[in-house]
Amino acid sequence: MAAAALSWALRAARQVLPSPCPGQVRSYYVDWRMLRDVKRRRMAYEHADERLRINAIRKNSILPRELQEAADKEIAALPRDSCPVRIRNRCVLTSRPRGVRRRWRLSRIVFRHFADHAQMSGVQRAMW
Amino acid sequence: KDKPAASKDSTPEGAAKRQEDGAETPKQQLLDIIGNMKVEVSYRKKLQQLKASENKKQAINKVEGPNSEGSVPQGTAEDTQRGKPLNPELVKAASAVASFLPHNKKQTESELLAQLRRHEETTDKQKKGGAINIRNVISEMAVKRQSPAQRGARITGRLSLRLDEDGQRIRPERSSAQSTDSRRSLKVGKRLNIFTKTSTKPEHTLETVSSPTIWDLEFAKEVAAVTAQPPRNGFEEMIQWTKEGILWEFPIDNEVGMEDDAEFHEHIFLEKHLEGFPKEGPIRHFMELVVCGLSKNPYLSVKQKVEHIEWFQKYFEEKKELLQEI
Repeated sequence: MAAAALSWALRAARQVLPSPCPGQVRSYYVDWRMLRDVKRRRMAYEHADERLRINAIRKNSILPRELQEAADKEIAALPRDSCPVRIRNRCVLTSRPRGVRRRWRLSRIVFRHFADHAQMSGVQRAMW
Repeated sequence: KDKPAASKDSTPEGAAKRQEDGAETPKQQLLDIIGNMKVEVSYRKKLQQLKASENKKQAINKVEGPNSEGSVPQGTAEDTQRGKPLNPELVKAASAVASFLPHNKKQTESELLAQLRRHEETTDKQKKGGAINIRNVISEMAVKRQSPAQRGARITGRLSLRLDEDGQRIRPERSSAQSTDSRRSLKVGKRLNIFTKTSTKPEHTLETVSSPTIWDLEFAKEVAAVTAQPPRNGFEEMIQWTKEGILWEFPIDNEVGMEDDAEFHEHIFLEKHLEGFPKEGPIRHFMELVVCGLSKNPYLSVKQKVEHIEWFQKYFEEKKELLQEI
C-alpha cells in the first residue's frame, strides 16, 4: 500500500504539464510540498459543493439539532485534504510559503528580481 | 502555368524574353504575330451559340461580330435563305436595333434576322422533340481557341535550345501541356447529350468518415507547426494571442463563455422545484431560505441551482428515518 501510494505520488510529481507556449517550460513542480498543495487544491475543488451544502445544514438555527449533528459527522468523514483551509498560497516559482504577494502569486524575492529586470508590467520602484 | 514555371528554371533567357515586354527581340515579335494570327472563327461560332439561346440582347455583342467577321460573311448568306417568315414585329425591332447600332447597318440587320430565324428553328425543333441531328451539333461545336500567351509559350518551348550543365539538350517538359490539352479537349465545350447519364452515385449519401487516426492528428500538428510563421509585426502577434485565448476579443463582451439561455424568471421563481419537500415544518422553512438565496445569486446557472436543490432533496430523503424519530 505504501509502495502504491509512493508510485502514484512519483508519477504525479513527474507530470509533464502542458506546454502550449514556446517560452520556458518547467516540466516538474518545484518541490513535493508544492505538489501536495496542488493535490489539496484539486480535492478542495471537487468537494467544494458538498462542503458548502453540509455546512449550510450545520450552521443554521431552524433545523433540528439531531440533523445538524448528523451533518457534523458527515463532514468530518470527508477526506482531510478536501477542506480549503489546508491550502497555502505558495510562491508559484519557488514554492516559498511566506512572503507571497497574492496579486502576483510570487514570493517577495522573485517579485523583486523580476521588477528590477523590468519584466513586471506596470511595476516601478517607489520614490516619493 | 506549369510551362512557364518549368522553363523559367531551366532557361533564364526564355524567361527574360517572356517577362520583359520592353525588350522585344525579333523572336518575341514573331511569336506574337503567330499567336495573333489565329483567325477567330471559333469566336463567331460561339457567338451564334449564345444568340440561339437568348433573343435580341445579343444584338450588342453583334457589334464585335461584324468587325471581326468582315472577311467571312459567307455563312450568314446561307442562313438567310433558310426558315419560315419571321414575326413582323421582330423584324421591325431588328431593323430598329440595326439602325441604332453605329456600324454596317445592312449587315447587322441581315445577321439579326438570320439569328432570329435560327432561334425560331431551334424552338420549333424543341417543341416537336426533334431527334439529335449530329450535323447541327457538330456545326455548333466551337473550335478550341488557344490564348496567344499559351501559344507563344508552346512555340518558344519548341524553338528554344535548352542546355544542361553537361551541355546536353534537355527534352522540354511538354507533358504538362499535352496533358492539359487532352484534358481540355475531353471536358471542355458544350455537352452533346449523346450518351445517357450514368446513375447517380450512392456514395454521396453514405459517406462515413472514420475517426481520425493518431497519424492523421500528428500529421495535422506537423503541418500546423511548419506553416505557422513567427509574427512579422505587433498586429500578427496580437492575432496569434487572440487565437490562443491569451488576449480577449475587442470590443469586450462581458458574456463571453457564459451561455445562459434561461430567462430571468427561471432564475428567480424556483418554488416549483420545492414540490418534493413536505409542506410544513422546519425543512420547508429551510428550503425556502435556500431558494431565496439562490434566486439572488447571479453567478450560478439554472442547471446548477436545480442541482443544488436536488442534492438537498436526496439528502433529506436519506435522513428520513432520523427525522421520523424526532
